[in-house]
Amino acid sequence: MQRGEKKRIRAEYEMSSKRGSKDASAILSTLWQSATGIIIALILPFVALAEPQTNFSEGVEFCLGCHSDSSLSIVLPSKEKMPLYINPEEFAASIHGDKLGCTDCHSDISDYPHPVKELKNRRAYSLAFYEGCKRCHFANYTKTLESIHYSLLSKGNPRVPVCVDCHGAHNVTRPDKPRTRVSQTCKKCHLGVYETYSASVHGRALIEEDNPDVPVCTSCHHAHNIEDPRTRTFLLKTPELCGKCHANERLMQKYGLSTKVLETYLKDFHGVSVTFYKSQREDITSWKAVCTDCHGVHNITKVSDPNSPVLKANVVHTCRKCHPDATTNFPGAWLSHYEPNPKKAPLVYYVKVFYKIFIPFTIGGLGLHILLHIWRVATNR
Amino acid sequence: MEDKINSGEGENPQNEVSRVEMRLPEEFVRFSPLQRVEHLLVMIFFIVLVITGLPQGFFETSWAAWIIMSLGGIDITRFIHRVFGILFAALAIWHLGRVTLLVLLRKARPSMIPTFKDFSDATGTLKYYLGLSEEHPKFDRYDYRQKFEYWGLMIGGIIMIVTGFILYFPVFFTELLPGVIIPVAKAVHGYEALLAFLVIIIWHMYGAHFNPDVFPFDSSIFTGKISRERMEKEHHLEYARLLRSLAKDGEDKKSTGEEKSNYV
Repeated sequence: MQRGEKKRIRAEYEMSSKRGSKDASAILSTLWQSATGIIIALILPFVALAEPQTNFSEGVEFCLGCHSDSSLSIVLPSKEKMPLYINPEEFAASIHGDKLGCTDCHSDISDYPHPVKELKNRRAYSLAFYEGCKRCHFANYTKTLESIHYSLLSKGNPRVPVCVDCHGAHNVTRPDKPRTRVSQTCKKCHLGVYETYSASVHGRALIEEDNPDVPVCTSCHHAHNIEDPRTRTFLLKTPELCGKCHANERLMQKYGLSTKVLETYLKDFHGVSVTFYKSQREDITSWKAVCTDCHGVHNITKVSDPNSPVLKANVVHTCRKCHPDATTNFPGAWLSHYEPNPKKAPLVYYVKVFYKIFIPFTIGGLGLHILLHIWRVATNR
Repeated sequence: MEDKINSGEGENPQNEVSRVEMRLPEEFVRFSPLQRVEHLLVMIFFIVLVITGLPQGFFETSWAAWIIMSLGGIDITRFIHRVFGILFAALAIWHLGRVTLLVLLRKARPSMIPTFKDFSDATGTLKYYLGLSEEHPKFDRYDYRQKFEYWGLMIGGIIMIVTGFILYFPVFFTELLPGVIIPVAKAVHGYEALLAFLVIIIWHMYGAHFNPDVFPFDSSIFTGKISRERMEKEHHLEYARLLRSLAKDGEDKKSTGEEKSNYV
């Protein structure tokens, strides 16, 4: 398994490096890099102990000999100026600063003068590095292949993000420290969604209180395998998505929220339908409300908020999205995620109590009648 | 039993009765073709409603999911259930309308009305089963168990039809009624269905199949016929009435066995 993976990585690496250098030299350079990697790994602890300030990998100082010149740049065929300056402090502070050397990522470069690249603009440079990270981050790379971003990229849209657009290039640091950074990252492209989210109960708690529990973008959309959220498959997963937190007793207790929301939804007409739709064929088109149809998506508010679509005064308008002729009586049909009890929906509660007594009583009586008859027939013989 | 039959009639009761009995057929027609068709239809509708309805109530179990998925999904299951619900409602309206009309026009004698005798028959039967009484009560055209089941089906059926339509058209029904009728209807529909299902599975299956008197199969409701022997034993009062009317009609008239179709 691992062997196969290694083989594949190497094969892909060889293919991608064909443009720059010959196969033999590529293999040599990989071997050389693995060897240096091992040596570095062995030496590094001692080096670090001896001299804590020097945390660059081998060769980095050599490259910085030229690339620490802040005026270094080239002009691309698109007439764009591309700076070639690397801020040594920034790179040192990055998560890779003490782990990777320049040629670990810029693996097509092993000498000076560098091989000439035929890339017409800066974006093309970024896209060319899409494959670069997978040598180490193979699992996350594979996940991106299932994402909506990759699917758009493969259709020829160059504006969708690749690794470096979210993570940075020479300044990679932990993407979720602090947590607000996640939404800031997505905001770079999804500004409208961010603005809606930042006004929501989740967004406000994140931004104003740095709340560790509220969902950030990636909590629902994932980080690397971001699905198209408009698909039926994704939307049908909504109850379990919200349920991850809202059915979590420990978490909800913290905020005084009920965990019955998921269960009561799943037991109701809408929830039963959606549960079956999930295992049914994709081509059916009928739809029943999921969490977000009533509560909103990025604009979720507290249910007590005057603007909440599920506040008693507003809920009939929410119902009318699907039931256009609903009267103000209609929302009473929904028990607001409550289990029927003597206080909330007493009629429903007592009907259930009645049948829970009446059914065993009736069936028990009939069963007894049958048993007595059998007994009589048996003794008469 | 002959005393009862001939109470107040003829000077030589013994001979009279045996002569009349000689003229009786071996089988009586107990149910008209229409009644048999009604039973067949309600049986089919009930089975389909149970197959498509019970899994909706027990949606969390794997067997329920299997049935619903085998039928082609939840929407198709609900569609079949609603179609047969409408058919069931139509049959109920037809039956009740027909019976009411026949009784009002005095074309048929109502025989399903519960009477005080049914209650004493029930206690009498239980006493007999328990050995507290030596004599089994004698029944008319329908005994108390059959009346219980008939009215159970009628009342239960009406409850199911009303709550079913409330659930089918929630927006329409909440135009005037409060919204809470929807969850109430849902609870009633589910529990009443469970009750009906259990009564049929336990009580009706016993009465029509596993009862030692009829085992393995009481075919009366399908063939419309009942043997003279069973008539005399299980519907003695009706049998006796028939004998009396034959005795009155005179010796030359023979029973065709079809005298009973004027009951509803």
